[in-house]
Amino acid sequence: MTASRPLPTLLVIPTGIGCELGGYAGDGLPAARLLAAASGCLITHPNVMNGASLYWSDSRIHYVEGSALDRFATAAIGLRPVRRQRLGLLLDAGIEAELRWRHLQVAEGCRASLGLEIGPVVTTEAPLEVSLCQGGSGASWGQLGRPELLLRAGQILKAAGATAIAVVTRFPEDNSSEALAAYRQGSGVDCLAGAEAVISHLLSRELGLPCAHAPALSPLPLDPGLDPRAAGEELGYTFLACVLVGLSRAPDLVPLRPEAPGSELLSAAGADLLRIEDVGAVVAPAGALGGAAVLACAERGIPVIAVRNPCVLNVSAAALGLEVLAAESYAAAAGLLVALREGISPFALVRPLQRLNMISADMPSGAGESNSGRGQRRDDTPPRAPC
Amino acid sequence: MSVAAMRLQPMTLQFRRVPGPLLAQIEAALAPHGQPLRWAITAVKPGLAGSCPLLTLEAVVLA
Repeated sequence: MTASRPLPTLLVIPTGIGCELGGYAGDGLPAARLLAAASGCLITHPNVMNGASLYWSDSRIHYVEGSALDRFATAAIGLRPVRRQRLGLLLDAGIEAELRWRHLQVAEGCRASLGLEIGPVVTTEAPLEVSLCQGGSGASWGQLGRPELLLRAGQILKAAGATAIAVVTRFPEDNSSEALAAYRQGSGVDCLAGAEAVISHLLSRELGLPCAHAPALSPLPLDPGLDPRAAGEELGYTFLACVLVGLSRAPDLVPLRPEAPGSELLSAAGADLLRIEDVGAVVAPAGALGGAAVLACAERGIPVIAVRNPCVLNVSAAALGLEVLAAESYAAAAGLLVALREGISPFALVRPLQRLNMISADMPSGAGESNSGRGQRRDDTPPRAPC
Repeated sequence: MSVAAMRLQPMTLQFRRVPGPLLAQIEAALAPHGQPLRWAITAVKPGLAGSCPLLTLEAVVLA
């Protein structure tokens, strides 16, 4: 698309907030592929990439679990691309025998048909007791009754040589729930997503390894009215294949602070290591800008591209006092990334074009603002001062 | 924190933003409740007459 060197870009579509695009079964993937082509290097998280039985592998896309993405944005870790990961498979003891076999056979299939390196497999000592809940905002959340058992099983896998962990936990089911019906009809929040994020965040944070989660659920009855965005989750018996493929080439998480466990990896990381200083833009839904990765990037002066993508939240640039580049769609965001990659000011692409801002030489330092810089508001709403 | 004593605590809290970088303010607001595992600003209520906005955070912390 462009001969310029890649512009590493973060793509965030938060989990469990009902984003119109990216809030379902891997339906953010086409946007991720487009932004990867535009930027030449895209760093994004499993919620964007996972379509249960559907997945896409692209060497320009780095698959990084959400809490690791936050740590990357705050300069706590760097990302080291790898040829392959050795995937440990962590299964919840709460999964019934038949469903467990289904998951093991997906892992066997990924070994046989895709050549992934998978194993060992560990089952937790007792069921993990996953529960789901919804916050006052409508966002999905959840928790684990036995987090210590999850971590113990993860530590066993790490000690056995796993360099990344795919975790499958038994999720509670209520096939008659209104929330599930709304989700399948394409108008609701993914009720499972919040708990999934909590599980993978805990594991990745405590072990320092790439991790991702798949829920274990019984197949749903056929729904001819199923929304296309939810269809990826109804093609098979598990949600595991996409997780295994995504993790198989997920970058290593390299601590950048000398006192952190695993920081010895830093000296071996070499020139391939991606750091937040290399990132040229972050792309996020315009109403969901209040997460750690976006705020950390904004505070570093990294351009924030706020894309129109309705969801249950309304935490906008105006509400937070952030300067952003507004995009009406992911296609428009791709255009902005190409402009940034080519060194073209995004402000030269819109009309009216503001005149140069003149400042007087005897004006106190910082009293004038140039309007030629990056990261200025272009979302047609007046900026609100934070205080 | 010992693994055996680990407990996950979902929570909602509100705090009034003050001028300056926001991330540090959020971390400070969550810290008394435990180690933040996952959080997001889920609502912003504008401050009246020039006062600071009120932020709502939803979070899960390790307590």
